[in-house]
Amino acid sequence: MIQTIEIGLTIPDNEAYTALTTLQRLGVEIGGLRRADLWRFELAASAAESFVDHVRTLETIYNPNKHTLRVRHDERPACGEVWIDEPGHGVLESPVRISGRVLPGVERAARSVSWHLQAPEGGPASAEVVRRAVEILLCNPAFQKATI
Amino acid sequence: MSTRRGARVAVLVFPGTNSEEETIRACRAGGLETHLVSWTASAQTVRGFDAYVLPGGFAYEDRVRAGAIAAHDRLMESVREGAAAGKLVLGICNGAQILLEAGLAPDLDGSTRPQAGFTRNLPGGRYRSTHVHVRLAIAPERCAISAALPSETVLPAWASHGEGRLAADSRTLEAMQSHDHLAFVYCDRAGVTTPEAIPNGSALGVAGVVNRAGNVLALMPHPERDAWTFMHNDASRAKARGDRAATLGVSGGIALFQSFAAALR
Repeated sequence: MIQTIEIGLTIPDNEAYTALTTLQRLGVEIGGLRRADLWRFELAASAAESFVDHVRTLETIYNPNKHTLRVRHDERPACGEVWIDEPGHGVLESPVRISGRVLPGVERAARSVSWHLQAPEGGPASAEVVRRAVEILLCNPAFQKATI
Repeated sequence: MSTRRGARVAVLVFPGTNSEEETIRACRAGGLETHLVSWTASAQTVRGFDAYVLPGGFAYEDRVRAGAIAAHDRLMESVREGAAAGKLVLGICNGAQILLEAGLAPDLDGSTRPQAGFTRNLPGGRYRSTHVHVRLAIAPERCAISAALPSETVLPAWASHGEGRLAADSRTLEAMQSHDHLAFVYCDRAGVTTPEAIPNGSALGVAGVVNRAGNVLALMPHPERDAWTFMHNDASRAKARGDRAATLGVSGGIALFQSFAAALR
């Protein structure tokens, strides 16, 4: 079973802010930008049911003081969103160990970055705007892959 | 010997740059009239220089990717103009990452999009600080900054990075190789490239990339950190012990800055 979890920040995200102001200065019409880690876990059947609860209680990828945790059921990025992967990096094989702790029942984990772009008037940015942001800043195609 | 009358080099700093002082010292020891210029300087000020050096560090905290934000900084517009006009540009470590993110090297087709990048080290993706040697892997005159170096010069340097592995698709790598963009490769002390000599898994063992026109050089390891005998990681340092002049004498990595100065004479 595959479980996808998005870990965002509740505290100000300097990296997203810098990316936002850079894109705006370069003429990309967006009003907001949010960044999150996207974890895709391949789970053993025995671990599937309690996995999200387990992640909430382990201090590994999620800290309730500063993170949001959202279970994603979609296999593609949402409207206004792009996923950035770096092939060859961010993939952990069993036994999957994060911050020194083994995640039981996880056979494989892959991490990518999710960027959510907002239109100036609110709501998700158009695919065209997302593509432009990807081309200008969010992805170096020499070693990264963008999924819109 | 100094550079031609009025030839001035700007060492450019962004928020997060941290190697400007040793870079300025190495430039001056190599014979370059060097000035520190911050990212807040006016375009007119930046345009007034004859050459640019982008030192190492973590410009803009490596936000988004190493070098990505700095590559789009207003300051880089003047550097881009200067490079197009034939001014010499040297990027070291984070400066090299910035040049690749800005598309100024390898610059295979004049596009401003990055065609290659220095990304996470392999194996393990970890930061490494280690002494290295690099060999000039192109004809010296292919790159203006290396033109005064003897053929196949081996320079000592320190690799100090978490993202120093050259990455590009196979077609780009082939084009870079066939058009002599691979300026420096990691090697052992004798100049032989071995897997052990490559600290980061870089494609083809590449440590430095030159642009199409030969006036922009992106070099990952730091020659300015092995530019005096006391910085050497070999027997020469022990041999010089007790001899103040020999210990403080310029050598090793300084040769690149001397060659840079020669190009401005």
